[in-house]
Amino acid sequence: MTDWIIRPTVEADLSAIMAIEHECFPEDAWSEDNMRFELLAHHTEYFVAVRDEQVIGYAGLSKVPSSDQGDVQTIAVLPAARGEGLGRALMDALITAAKRLHAGEIFLEVRADNPVAQALYLALGFDHIDTRKNYYQPAGIDAWIMRLTLPQRSIGREPVVLGIESTCDETGVGIVRGTTLLANVISSSMDEHARFGGVVPEIAARAHLEALKPTLDKALAEANLSLNDIDAIAVANGPGLGGAVMVGVAAAKALSVATGKPVYAVNHLVGHVGVDILERGQVETPTVALLVSGGHTSLLLVRDLLDDVELLGETIDDAAGEAFDKVARVLGLKYPGGPEIDRAAAGGNPNAIRFPRGLTQAKDMEKHRYDFSFSGLKTAVARWVEVAETKAAAGEGAEINIADVAASFREAVADVLVSKAVKACVEHNVPRLLLGGGVVANARLRELATERCAAAGIELRIPALSLCTDNGAMIAALGAQLVMVGRQPSSLSFGADSTLPVTTVQTL
Amino acid sequence: MGHLLAIDTSSGTSVAVLKDGVPLAEIEIADTRSHTESIGDAINDALKQAGVAPSRIQAVAVGRGPAPFTGLRVGIAAAIMFAEGVGAKLFGIVSLDAIAKQELAARGAVPGGDQAAQPLLVTSDARRSEHYWALYSGLDRHGVPVCIEGPAVNRPADIETMLAEREIEASRASVVISARAIGELFEAQAAAGVLSDDVTALYLRNPDAVEPKNLRDFGKRVSG
Repeated sequence: MTDWIIRPTVEADLSAIMAIEHECFPEDAWSEDNMRFELLAHHTEYFVAVRDEQVIGYAGLSKVPSSDQGDVQTIAVLPAARGEGLGRALMDALITAAKRLHAGEIFLEVRADNPVAQALYLALGFDHIDTRKNYYQPAGIDAWIMRLTLPQRSIGREPVVLGIESTCDETGVGIVRGTTLLANVISSSMDEHARFGGVVPEIAARAHLEALKPTLDKALAEANLSLNDIDAIAVANGPGLGGAVMVGVAAAKALSVATGKPVYAVNHLVGHVGVDILERGQVETPTVALLVSGGHTSLLLVRDLLDDVELLGETIDDAAGEAFDKVARVLGLKYPGGPEIDRAAAGGNPNAIRFPRGLTQAKDMEKHRYDFSFSGLKTAVARWVEVAETKAAAGEGAEINIADVAASFREAVADVLVSKAVKACVEHNVPRLLLGGGVVANARLRELATERCAAAGIELRIPALSLCTDNGAMIAALGAQLVMVGRQPSSLSFGADSTLPVTTVQTL
Repeated sequence: MGHLLAIDTSSGTSVAVLKDGVPLAEIEIADTRSHTESIGDAINDALKQAGVAPSRIQAVAVGRGPAPFTGLRVGIAAAIMFAEGVGAKLFGIVSLDAIAKQELAARGAVPGGDQAAQPLLVTSDARRSEHYWALYSGLDRHGVPVCIEGPAVNRPADIETMLAEREIEASRASVVISARAIGELFEAQAAAGVLSDDVTALYLRNPDAVEPKNLRDFGKRVSG
């Protein structure tokens, strides 16, 4: 049993890493700025070895998406912790990461006067392929160039898929290779909707048309690819705002005809579930998925990502994100309401006011067991504020405590969302829950989901926020799954379907 | 010039492939509510009928309207992406201008001819009891229509009042736009050196959205 663990690096590890850097490489230590850049860069994977919450070693790999070559950037273990297998464990982490990123080979340099390290790399399967004279300065030590060739299992056969998303107010273009994210570029028209207090469909559609080309260009640049490198195109053809979806669909079809590459029309909501592939290589099923955004509040049971997605429930009136926007207006806060209410709620008492939890009473359980309703909650908050203001004006009550109102409202939303999601897991005997949609940015929702899932023994998956909000990468990831299992492409005649059911994962 | 792909979705879905101004294939789908469904096949079929590989398209010309928004955007989005996909140059054409060129020519207007001849009023349906319109004096020496007023959107009675007040006696044209006409105007504009790479949609109307005067008051209405 070892008493240390290997985990991915976080920015907070920087100072501990720098201390080790100076101790291990006194002559040629990297600067703190360089190290920070390395840790945060998109094309690198860094890991630390940790004992008793102290960082005692680290290692990093560089892997540019457009190349199939990985490079060991550095590896260091505190002298006092050597001889315990940390170096090997860190190297194993790098090799695993390289495989996940579909590297075909890994290169490293090692000092010619370091036989211990050379022995480790040889044992891991690296070959000594070259020697660079006087590589390490100022001492003038030679470097061994070593190479590990990885099995070519997936290289060259994983499809590169470009995904287009335009169902609401984000124009998204993402590119994946198989299950690996290569680019994820989003252009949002959110600011243009702010003065209206909610998404205006026509404004969103106009913005998509303007954003299409620049967003595509940025995504290709980010992935360092040209359109020639794309094997297939995926597009979200619903559910969403009709006029907005049409822009993406027309774009995808024209791109398909122009490039001769097949097009796959995929379901936007199932895309939110499929995005987990990009972080874990697959979507573990069965899973319940709670998708919460300004346009949707849906609870899905996913037994199979491509073939068996069931809608357990959804909102019967406002989406949760919409409720945040509307209540923000009642409280005199800006759009979008989610982050504003999150800020206002900090320090507030979530139990100060008991706002109603929609569709949670016994009588609702038959017809609306897994459905949501936020319209009544929004009205209750507005009434409460009106009454309190009237009393305050008449000198009968205290000024409204915005923090308490915001915290109590947020608690009511998070409570009902998480309660129903956990209930769905328990009642369907599903051991995991996946969150998706922009409202996942809400701190209290994440916190409550974490608590209650832990208590119920449910594994909780929350993808990175950039993958939770609407994005093209999730559409590309789902499209790539269809390509990889050999599904037929869609015809060129599919339409935009604003109410596309989740059971239709692909529209042929 | 090489091969041109012309697209217009102001009314139905219209796609044409032309070479040196001569149409090689034309696809016309009159339905004004199926642009999204039709556009992919329409482009594909036009290329096939013309026997032209996508990669041989060197320029794409698209009608910018003015036209009902939802359908108009489908054609422009497709044109942008097709041009991107094959590396072709992209140009925008005012759809009413293309109708004007076609109609002026049909009525015997001569390029560079007498500009004092009867002007032409081109209109198209803008829904909501309004018309998109533009007024043309004739063709310049390259055959490009000379627009003297518009494009704009108004009620038909108001357009008539405007003409009457200014004592303009115009002949009228209200015909469905075709991609072929877009292509023909493209050739004339190319000859005149007045091609435009502006493909922004000519909406002429603001989005239907009411900006609440006071966000706070607006929010409170939820209780009423």
